[in-house]
Amino acid sequence: MILSGTFTFRGPRALVWQLLQDPEVLVKVMPGAQRLSRIADGRYQGVMKVGLGPVTAAEFALDVTLGDLAPPERFTMVIDSKGTLGFARGTANVALDEEGPDRTAMHYTSELQIGGRIASVGQRVVESAAKAMTARGLQALQQAIDDRLAPSAGSTSS
Amino acid sequence: MTASVGKRVPRNEDARLLTGRALFVDDVQLPGMLHAAFLRSDHAHGRLRAVDASTARGRPGVVAVFTADDLGDYWRPAPLLVPPPPVPGMVFNQCTQVPLARDKVRHVGEPIAMVVAENRYVAEDALADIVVDVDPLDAVVDLERALALGAARVHEHLDSNVAARVHQQRGDYAAARAAADVVITRRFWYDRGASAAIENRVVAATWDPRAEQLTIWDTTQAPIPIRNGLARMLGLAESQVQVIAPFVGGGFGPKIMMFYPEELLVPWAARRLGCAVKWTEDRHENFVATTQERGQLHDAEIAVTRDGRILGVRDVFLHDTGAYDPYGLTVPINSQCTLLGVYKVPAYDSTFTAVFTTKPIVTPVRGAGRQHGVFVMERLLDLAARELGLDRVEIRRRNLIPPDAFPYDQGIIFQDFTSLTYDSGDYAPALERAAELIGYEQFVREEQPRLRAEGKHVGLGIVNYVEGTGIGPYEGARVTVEPSGLVRVATGVGTQGQGHFTAFAQIVADVLAVEVAAVRVVTGDTREFHWGTGTFASRGAVVAGTACRAAAVAVRQKILDAGARRLNVAADTLELSNGRVFVTGRAGDPGVPYGELAVHANPLRGAVTAGVEPGLEATAYFGPDRGSTANGVHAMIVEVDRDTLLVRIARYVVVHDCGRLVNPTIVEGQIQGGVAHGIGNAFYEQLVFDEQGQLLTASLMDYLLPVATDVPDVEIVHRETPAPGNPAGLKGVGEAGCIATGAAFAQAIEDAFGGAVEIREIPLSPNRLFELLHAAAPPAPEVS
Repeated sequence: MILSGTFTFRGPRALVWQLLQDPEVLVKVMPGAQRLSRIADGRYQGVMKVGLGPVTAAEFALDVTLGDLAPPERFTMVIDSKGTLGFARGTANVALDEEGPDRTAMHYTSELQIGGRIASVGQRVVESAAKAMTARGLQALQQAIDDRLAPSAGSTSS
Repeated sequence: MTASVGKRVPRNEDARLLTGRALFVDDVQLPGMLHAAFLRSDHAHGRLRAVDASTARGRPGVVAVFTADDLGDYWRPAPLLVPPPPVPGMVFNQCTQVPLARDKVRHVGEPIAMVVAENRYVAEDALADIVVDVDPLDAVVDLERALALGAARVHEHLDSNVAARVHQQRGDYAAARAAADVVITRRFWYDRGASAAIENRVVAATWDPRAEQLTIWDTTQAPIPIRNGLARMLGLAESQVQVIAPFVGGGFGPKIMMFYPEELLVPWAARRLGCAVKWTEDRHENFVATTQERGQLHDAEIAVTRDGRILGVRDVFLHDTGAYDPYGLTVPINSQCTLLGVYKVPAYDSTFTAVFTTKPIVTPVRGAGRQHGVFVMERLLDLAARELGLDRVEIRRRNLIPPDAFPYDQGIIFQDFTSLTYDSGDYAPALERAAELIGYEQFVREEQPRLRAEGKHVGLGIVNYVEGTGIGPYEGARVTVEPSGLVRVATGVGTQGQGHFTAFAQIVADVLAVEVAAVRVVTGDTREFHWGTGTFASRGAVVAGTACRAAAVAVRQKILDAGARRLNVAADTLELSNGRVFVTGRAGDPGVPYGELAVHANPLRGAVTAGVEPGLEATAYFGPDRGSTANGVHAMIVEVDRDTLLVRIARYVVVHDCGRLVNPTIVEGQIQGGVAHGIGNAFYEQLVFDEQGQLLTASLMDYLLPVATDVPDVEIVHRETPAPGNPAGLKGVGEAGCIATGAAFAQAIEDAFGGAVEIREIPLSPNRLFELLHAAAPPAPEVS
């Protein structure tokens, strides 16, 4: 499965980059992420809970390794997740373009291999679900950016 | 008494089945029974680095977890079920499945570990505790790419993915081709399918340490080979192992004596743990862990004269055998042999290569490769007819084997290792009858042009098939007249809905002159009868039925002898009727009931005469020299919706000949069900694997089975050309309904579009039909 697209954030590139490296933020941004912790530089492990079409929400162990880091422009993510209902593994390339002082375009492309029960039962919906999850994640990241940029006297992020 | 054979006798088993009292394996409940679940590979191909079950073992409620390393000497490849036939020069690389993957996984669904727990919930939860480290390897999915140099090898000790290669020929094809006026060459694809029985596989086993007895309930079609194999592998005497296949909710081939991992491990675990263990397959497991069939790529050609006579056929095909080949070459040999059909083919040159892939194992499923051969041959004839400007019924008519040519030797070797010789047949009248019943001439001349003018896409398909049935090696039966006067029949074959409790009862009832309902049949219990092979290859009625008849004939003589002793008359003055022995011509004689004779034949005092066996009982066996060849014609009319490309089957006619009928209702049930199976294979069901070998249609949401509204009432005509090889003249019929459906479908759909599209593949679907139609003729741009 190939997922790719572009999303333009309202926010400076440095901030977008910084948030993308922060597990505290990522756990809120990644749909279904239950927890995520940094176990080494550029290596995160955690648990995701994902439901897919007829497959009820199930836990997947998640292992993400960041590589080719070129702050604040681009990085790659090697994703390896598995659970009782199958696995997803693959690589994502993320590039951040500065479109202005407060506009950052994120270009992402990922190729994921899906296997096991999620592939055999959820195949019909896996791609649309992944797209929807990505969209939700990007919206959540925008929210995190907005929260950071908001005047501290204003609304809280919680 | 009038004979019951040939009559529409209601089925003895239906009361039990319809009121829910029939025992199926999942109904087996034993005290303290544990439940098993299997951890299966998510990868189609990979190196198995490590399996860590320590956490799973500690989960409350888990009794045991077994991996390959825990099996000790019990870990070994399963037996080869059918050795390859003795074809000179053939290649066969034997690689049978293993109880649990060790070193490598070779298809999605291959079991890696077994959990035994207090209940299935705990067992399944514990599967999540097991950590498996798999290093993925390239999947082997496409048959041609599997054979390319440098392809990943499913079995690395072999130097390629070739499982087998067999070349068979008769005559000189090169000469036939040179002499031909027209040669048609095409590539055909016939994809995989699942058997999709209503009941999934189930195994329950219990070890009784006091009796030192292992009892196994198994949804197998072949309990006796399973008993023999398990006893050998477990180091037990055959008499210590009892295998019971009670009512089974559909067999269709994959439930044959497979020695599936679960079938090997549940009894082993029961004995090791000293208690009862049960495993019930779920539907998802059924899609990846039960054997499948199909997947053949044929490059075929037919050489014909200008007037449509076949001079020769050449076929080179690849057969997908999946990750292992425990069933030998039965499926591709069936394809190779059945291709010749009802036709005289002077020159035939056929080579197949069976290919290992990282997909579930392929073994026979109803039709067992026969449909592939029929599809290729019937398609070639359709194409030749079009090329020659000949009518499609006429080209078939011109090539039929004539009725005086039997026995007809096709000159190659069949799946039962004997020559492919048709025992009897009368093909022309079957074709004429089907053409007449479907209204072929009238449809082609009047109806189709009229409906076409109305913008409707209607088409007709009419095709021939043969069905090799009733092969050996043998079956047996024991017939006993009990003191109650009831007759008991025990035979070794398993039963999966074929009506054995009625058909065998009819055969025995007629010989013994009793009511069919007075005959109680027991099948599939090794304690009741322990010689035999099983239910497969459309052989139950022919082989086991003939054994039942032979045992009944022997018991009949015993009844006459016992009657003669009792009445003090000569046996040849006696006759049997309504369960009693009478002296011929003695008016008003109430006769002696069999039950009374049975009591006297088993005395408590006095002496049984030397040379006389006690009781009214006999055992007999029947092993045919070779199978009997059934045949038939399928004809159908379809209407294809021009927008949705959904196909409505307006009529479906089957004219078939399975020799003498035992029970027309049962035969019609077999045909109606077979046609439903065939329609599913032709237009609905498809196992779609992605490039990584992941099965993408592993649920009944995506794997579409035809439903009642998709399957028409089949109009069935019986013809009876007796089989010379058994006294009742029987031939098998279990696969007749599904063998020709794909070929009929293809011709009918092609006909519906007036030749605008050529169908060279099965299964079709509205989607696929859309693609084919648009590839053939790109749609005109829409004008607004």
